[in-house]
Order: sequence, then C-alpha cells, then structure tokens
Amino acid sequence: MDEATLILIAGWVAAILRSATPLLFVTLGETLSQRVGIINLGIEGEMLAGACFGFAAAATTGDPLLGLIAGGAAGVVLSMIHAGLCIGLGANQFGSGLAVWMIGLGITSFYGRAFVGGQVDASGSLGGSWVSDSPVLGQLLDNLSWTALAAVLLVLLAGFLLYRTRTGLAWRTVGEAPEAARAAGLSVPRIQVSGVLLGGFLAGIGGAVLSVDYTQTWAQEMTKGRGLVAVGLVIVARWNPYLVLPTVLVFGGAEAAVTRLQAGGFALSSHVLASLPYVIALLVVIGAYAWGRRGSGMPEGLKGVFAIRGS
Amino acid sequence: MPNLAKHERLAGAALSALAFAIVALGFFAVIGEPPLATLLSMVEYAVGDRYSLSETLVKMTPILFCALAAIVPARLGLISVGAEGQFHIGALIGTGMMLWTQPFDGWLLLPLVLFGGALGGALFGWLPGILRARLSVNETITTLLLNYVAVLMVSAAVYGPWKDPGNLGWPATIAFPDAAVLPQLFGTRVHAGLLIGLLLALCLHVLFRFSRWGQSLDILKGNVRVGRMMGLDYRHHVVIVMALGGALAGLAGIGETSVIQGRLQPGISVGYGLTGFLVAWLAGHNALLAVPVSFLIGGLIAAGDTLQLFNKIPASSATVLQGLMFATALAVPGLIALWRSRRG
Repeated sequence: MDEATLILIAGWVAAILRSATPLLFVTLGETLSQRVGIINLGIEGEMLAGACFGFAAAATTGDPLLGLIAGGAAGVVLSMIHAGLCIGLGANQFGSGLAVWMIGLGITSFYGRAFVGGQVDASGSLGGSWVSDSPVLGQLLDNLSWTALAAVLLVLLAGFLLYRTRTGLAWRTVGEAPEAARAAGLSVPRIQVSGVLLGGFLAGIGGAVLSVDYTQTWAQEMTKGRGLVAVGLVIVARWNPYLVLPTVLVFGGAEAAVTRLQAGGFALSSHVLASLPYVIALLVVIGAYAWGRRGSGMPEGLKGVFAIRGS
Repeated sequence: MPNLAKHERLAGAALSALAFAIVALGFFAVIGEPPLATLLSMVEYAVGDRYSLSETLVKMTPILFCALAAIVPARLGLISVGAEGQFHIGALIGTGMMLWTQPFDGWLLLPLVLFGGALGGALFGWLPGILRARLSVNETITTLLLNYVAVLMVSAAVYGPWKDPGNLGWPATIAFPDAAVLPQLFGTRVHAGLLIGLLLALCLHVLFRFSRWGQSLDILKGNVRVGRMMGLDYRHHVVIVMALGGALAGLAGIGETSVIQGRLQPGISVGYGLTGFLVAWLAGHNALLAVPVSFLIGGLIAAGDTLQLFNKIPASSATVLQGLMFATALAVPGLIALWRSRRG
C-alpha cells in the first residue's frame, strides 16, 4: 500500500475513534453497572448531565480537564438517585432509570439554557512535533485527543480489573450469584452501589467528552439517545468490557460509512441519515439475540430484571 | 405497590403525594423561587379558572392515551416505552391518509385519518412485539430506540416531500381540512379525543377485569408455563398487547396533530410518550386510575407553560418535577417496607 492510502486509512480510523469516544465511555459504564446486576436506563440522563455541566465547567473555567471532571461528577450525582432507589429501596430498575433520565432531561434544559451557543477549547490533540517525521502516524494522532486514548486504555483496564483481580471476582460474583456472594461474606449492596456510581461517572465523562471535546458546543438533549444505544450495545458486547471496544468501533464505523454515503452523492434526507445510528443499533441488538445463544453472557442476576421466562 | 395491602396502598399514595410536595418545595427553593407561593400558583395555573382547566384537559388527552399505551403491554408484564415513537408514526400515517384522501373530502375522511393514526402506532408496537415474541429481544430497548427513528421519520416527511410550499419555508404539511378533524368542545381547545380516551380507559378496565382476555393476560403475567399448560399462547398475546398499545399511542399522535397543531410539523409532542409511561406507573397499571393521574400530570405540564409565561420560570421545571414525582413514587413503597421491617 502506498503512503497516500495509508494516510487516508489513518484519517478514517481517527475519525471513527473520535466520534466513538463518548460512546466508548458510556457503554463501558453501563457494562460495569450491569455486571453487578443493575441495569441503568438513567445513563441517558447521566450522559446528558455530563455533557451539560461538563460544558458549563469548561466554558466557565476555560479548562477542558475540569469540564470532564465536572461531567463525571454530574453523572455520579444522578446515578446516586438510581442506586438509592434500586439498591436501597428495591424499586424497579427500569422505572428508576427512566425517572433518572427525566430528572436529567429537565435539569439540563433548565440550567443548560444559559450555555446554549457557548464556546470551549477542546482538550489537546495527541499529535505534535514528535510525530512529524511520520505522516501516517501524524494523520492519526493529530486528529485524536487524549480522551480517545484514555477511553481505549480504560476499556483494557476495566477488563483487567474485572477478570484478573479479586475485586473483579467479587463484582462478577455479585452480578452472577448475589446469594453466593452474600454467603461468601461480600457486601452485595456496597459492591452494587460502587458499580452504579462508577457507571454514572463514566457516563458523565462520556457526555462531557461529547460536548467539550467533540462538538465543542452544548445543545439541549444533545445526547439524543446515545445512552440508550449504549444499553443496547452492552448486550451486543455480551457484558464483556474487552468486547465493548470492537462493538463500539464497528458501530461507529458503520455510522461513519453511512455518513460518507451522503458525501458520495447519495441523495438521502439528512433526517433519514440521522436515524441510521438507531437503526444500526437495533439491527445489531436483534442480531445479537438471533445468532447468539439467547442472553448468553448475561449476568444471572440480570435475568430477573430482563424477565426472561422461557418464552 | 404490588405487595401491600389495600389500606397500605392508600397510605402509600397519600405519603407519595406528601413526599412529592416536599420535594417540589425543595426544588423551588433550590432554583430561588418562593416555594409555597410558586407551588400554589402552579395549582392555580392548572385548575384555577375555566381557561386553565381547559388547557389542563388539552394536555391530559395525549397523556391519557400514551398511559393506556404503556398499560396494555404492562398487563402482560412487558415494559414498553415506545409511546413517543408510536405517537409520531400515528401522526405520520394519519397525516398521510389525510393527504392521500383529501381530494374526496367526504364524511369518510375523519375515520380514515383516525384509522391511519391507529395503524401507524400499531405498526411500531407490532415490530418490537414480534421481536420479543420470536427472538426474545428485550422490548424496552427496542421501543426506546424506535422512538428516535419515528421522530426523525416525521422530520424527514415535513422537511421533505410533504412540506407545503405555501408555508414560506416552515417545515409543515398543509393544514387538516375541517372534515378530517375531531370536533372541539365547549368553545375551547379540548376535543372529542378526550371523550374517546375516557371511554377507552373504561372499556380496557372492564376487559382487564372481566373478560377471558384479561384473565389470560393475568395468568401469563404470573407464570408463562402455567399459561401454556392451560393452552394460552404467550407469543400471540405479546404481539397483540404491543400492537394494541401502539394503536392507542398512534391515536394520541393523530389527535394532537390534527386538532391541536392543525398540521404535521416538528415538535408535535412535548415528551407525551415518556410522561404517559410515568402516568401508567403511578396508576399501578390500572386503566381507570390512569384517568385522574393523567389529569394531574396534564395540570402540571399546563401549569409549567403558564409559569414560564408569567413567572419567567423555564417550562422545563415541569419535566424536573415529573422526574422527581416518579422518583418519589418509586421510593415510597420501599420506604414503607423498610419502616415495616424495622418495626419487626
């Protein structure tokens, strides 16, 4: 392959990774939450809150890093409601998640109005003078911020923690067999709360990456169901943090390819085009159910929530 | 609140209302408004005079339909959050009926438009239904994703082929002719859709309580295997309740579009689907109880609009309050159980 082709491919990879970074954080967060047996539809609201308050912090202080931290904090605060309702008070997880989503939706449009149309600086790119002698690497790294790298590393770290450490074993036991975990002396509620809060933190960061790093603007309801797409992608990734990376990238790649179709002269309505991420997410979720063994990889503790009753 | 006795359920409802009032007062305090005065003016804006009351009923109408759309699948234990999308597809197909049959302009137009609305909604209920029945695909996730598809399909139509050039660029279809619109009542914006909704709530309640179908749903909800031993077809019932629920939300969509908006355009729903889901939950999936609850939430949303107009508080405060109401309603049964176990 000649260098021009490689540069083209590097540009593609960078574009896909860039647009997939927010979803990577959010899907990883939802995966961890579901691994301890708690499904969180409120992740949509947590991502939205992260995008809103992350953008507000970045715009006010001028520091994108503070924005990401504020976004993560906003995600944690909302996920505390979910944890309190589901784990503390035994409320239905779908109902509680939707309540959290509504609260996030309302609060962000309430407080976010002041920041519509604002501007922020994105966090820095990975590129620099040190890659100037390699145009291919330069093309790749110049177009990526360190948040993309952080997301990829976090996926690997989460996989390692979950499958290779005692803490991970405890988390998996709580998700698979809460009774056995209790018998083994583990505090099930404490571990579940940790999972939900960590999930909320990652969702909030994902939202902040979207507003601060990717679009560099804030708009009401800007996450547009990305968090719900993440809930679907968790199923496709079979609740495995390692598989979150290829799943989200394939999803992002399909999305990018479709967007290029329009640039390639296909006369598709921009609204039809905008609906394709959801259609693709639906198709991959349906595919995961149709071709995988049903619910394979699903933590046992979740099966009651999903109400799979041998239908 | 399934595990509580009747008097406890009543106490729970009263406690939820009280807890919500406290939370709402707290919210107003946080946003720097006089709490009690704001809460009282909300009540006044919801039911204070003839006009406020009529606007509450206007908001209540689509919410009631969307609540019933969530209640029907819930009778089988399914969690459908697809009313928002079904609402939009109902509006889309119903408007399509109007556009295609409009040259004839006879008495048949209105039934055709309503039928189109129900058909569109039913389609977006049938799809997740069949996926659930055949492949066990979780209906909550599919309905949530389809919502976004449906909203964008409406946008594609009104920005694209259905845009009326007479609108000077505004993305909307031509106006509904009078023959295609449900009659309005008492000289207000309240329309006959409300009466249809009330009638449907009553019919569904009777069917759930007394019909063989209602019994079948109860049995299957309790235990699919027992139902199957009695010769009941779970998959068949899944598809039916999902499609029926969808049809109800589709009716809400076409009613709102034809009567209140007068034409298909973006923003026909202010989250009625999700609000309906909340109402269904608060009503304990009881079709009859959904009537007063949707009146209450309709009042909340109508008051939110007026609050924005007169008190300069953004209307999104109504969304926050809905979320907080949902959270309190979910918390109270758990709190009661906790309190009971403490007492031993």
